[in-house]
Amino acid sequence: MSNFTLYNYVLSGNCYKIRLMAGLLGVTYDTVAVDFYPGLEQRSERMLALNPAGTLPVLVAGDLILSETQAMLAWLATTHDPSCTWYPIKDASLHAQVLQWLGFSARLTTSVGAARLNTMLDWPVDVEVVRAASRKDLDELELLLTDRVFAGQTWLVGDGPTIADIACFPYVALSPDAGFEHDGYPAIRNWLYAVRSLPGFVTMPGIHPLHELREDGANG
Amino acid sequence: MLTAPVGLLRDLDPKRVMRAQVGGQDLVIWRASNGDISAWDNRCPHRGMALSHGFVRGNELACLYHGWHYGSSGVCRYIPAHPELEPPATITTTVFSVLIADGVIWVNTEGAATPAPVPIASQPLRSFHVEIQSEGLARACLTVAFEGVAPEQIAPGLYQLGARQVLLLENPLDGGRIQITALTDADAKPVDCAALSRWCDAVRRAAQTKRVAA
Amino acid sequence: MSRAYAMNDWYAVADAQTLARGARRTMLLDQDVTVSGTPDAPKVIDDAGRTYPAQFKYGHVWTCLGDAPRSLFDIPEAAEQGRRLVPCGVVRVKCSPLRAVENFLDIAHFPFVHTGILGSEPHTEVAPYKAEIRDEVDEVWATKISFYQPQAAKSAQAGGDTDYQYRVAAPTSAVLYKTCPPKPEAMDVIAIFVQPRSETECDVWPWMALYDDTSDFAGLVQFQQEIFLQDRSILENQRPVKLPLDPKMEIPTRADLTSIAYRRWLKSKGAFYGALTEDA
Repeated sequence: MSNFTLYNYVLSGNCYKIRLMAGLLGVTYDTVAVDFYPGLEQRSERMLALNPAGTLPVLVAGDLILSETQAMLAWLATTHDPSCTWYPIKDASLHAQVLQWLGFSARLTTSVGAARLNTMLDWPVDVEVVRAASRKDLDELELLLTDRVFAGQTWLVGDGPTIADIACFPYVALSPDAGFEHDGYPAIRNWLYAVRSLPGFVTMPGIHPLHELREDGANG
Repeated sequence: MLTAPVGLLRDLDPKRVMRAQVGGQDLVIWRASNGDISAWDNRCPHRGMALSHGFVRGNELACLYHGWHYGSSGVCRYIPAHPELEPPATITTTVFSVLIADGVIWVNTEGAATPAPVPIASQPLRSFHVEIQSEGLARACLTVAFEGVAPEQIAPGLYQLGARQVLLLENPLDGGRIQITALTDADAKPVDCAALSRWCDAVRRAAQTKRVAA
Repeated sequence: MSRAYAMNDWYAVADAQTLARGARRTMLLDQDVTVSGTPDAPKVIDDAGRTYPAQFKYGHVWTCLGDAPRSLFDIPEAAEQGRRLVPCGVVRVKCSPLRAVENFLDIAHFPFVHTGILGSEPHTEVAPYKAEIRDEVDEVWATKISFYQPQAAKSAQAGGDTDYQYRVAAPTSAVLYKTCPPKPEAMDVIAIFVQPRSETECDVWPWMALYDDTSDFAGLVQFQQEIFLQDRSILENQRPVKLPLDPKMEIPTRADLTSIAYRRWLKSKGAFYGALTEDA
């Protein structure tokens, strides 16, 4: 009996949020490959019956069907994290901060995520608007992560990784796909590295593994 | 060619790699496991891949594309496709002079690095890019108030912001941009640093929206 | 002028799915063209209304902008019974079309760029193989390549040594023949058809002809897309952007025999579009 089924597209940053969270929590799951591109299968009658929004990912666990990644991350953390640190709902302030970042992660999908689809796959978007929004969102994240540096903190919320970090990670990590390099964003660069260093981290195309962490790697 | 500030040591831990640019020269700046810092031409001589995408193992930097390992002298030490081969000493990247002073990483691509003197007892604030020419930046700094008070320029790049001081070190980049490495005075508290960081953002916004010919 | 040779080659500019969605305005060799019609009757015109020859082959519309088109190469395996033909859509990359092909021909990067799929440390050694320019067909071929792969194909159940052959049929079209896990007496066919938009940007059309009766179509497409997208961030970070054809700029090793042959072949033909050479 599998924990859940993920309707998935390998190049989707949103689908990757769930693949990554599952990897970090050590949760196994079934995958159904949906031909998002070039097939646009997420808009087929079969997929629309499952998720009227016509988006990916879709998570199905028994009778539960989720189509919003924020909800999926919360559900995964609630059901599979006995330490309750990935989604800290008991502390009202930490809980609210996590929700704030989940809201920010949705903005990243429509700015950097859209810019990436346009640059890589010629997806139709309003290029000027999307790219200006991407720059603004990255500037904002760099400012807030710099605050965390002054506070001696690594993660977005509290003193450990939470679903806030996982929700924001993919499109920021993939922003070079859209031509937004990280060279002017040292706080972002270091936060991305912290996420990539987590035990159980899984990659996706555009995010390379940290070869320096391999024990069977050559040392010259 | 002057020695240029390319970032803060605080932002580059041992075994980490970053990209920088000085006088149009693309650079990889990296730290070995033993903490030593290097600044090289950001190009693997094999197939031209940016070394700044690479990874550190021990005291060597490896290129992400084919894993060629380079030692501190910039010479290739190991080629994974030919593990038994001693790479010819001619396989090398170009090494530039790099020094750390006042918590800032300084690089000179044409000679020995000689860091500019920092006139205050300082701590690192942040490093960021602005799309503006240098004259526009100084004007923007004086127009953006800090906690309700206009800044005062004490010396080139050095501003008094209320009880605090901020030093903006400039490194011109291509495309009409500048990299700013900002320091503040050693007595600033974390809450001050957060406010000063926001002042830097406000200066950037002011400088970039006034991108009209002077 | 660097376009001269390139003008008379055929290039993929659309697939059946794109055609079904309407006209595709795109760029080929710095020129705007619009692709429309159906696989039976594809049409390629420029902004002035001039028509260019168009044919539908290997799942794609091919066109030629020059006055003396060469013949489009043949991939006989495409017609073999039982093979699944898999077009994978198009991916845009800011790189020279020639850099895209050379990366496709390279195996030493597998353990670092396609980690856990096409290669894995410590299996990094590239054993000697054979690369040659076959003058009789005017193609570059690399054979006798063998490499350990954790997952050679979607159909692979376990890691194993995989045999590879590469064939460069035209400067921007390359074909790979590799061990087919479920049918070891045959070889899977994986190709990239690179559409040069300019000398520094291209649209890449991957295409496959595989023996695989168990994987679903979306899974096959995504296996290939995953691999190609892992290469994209390499391709966009190579300098110089154009492919150097003169030996001094970049240093090959014995593992790079295919790339050495490819660069020599391009130089000898004058195929300089997307290349850096003193001769151009």
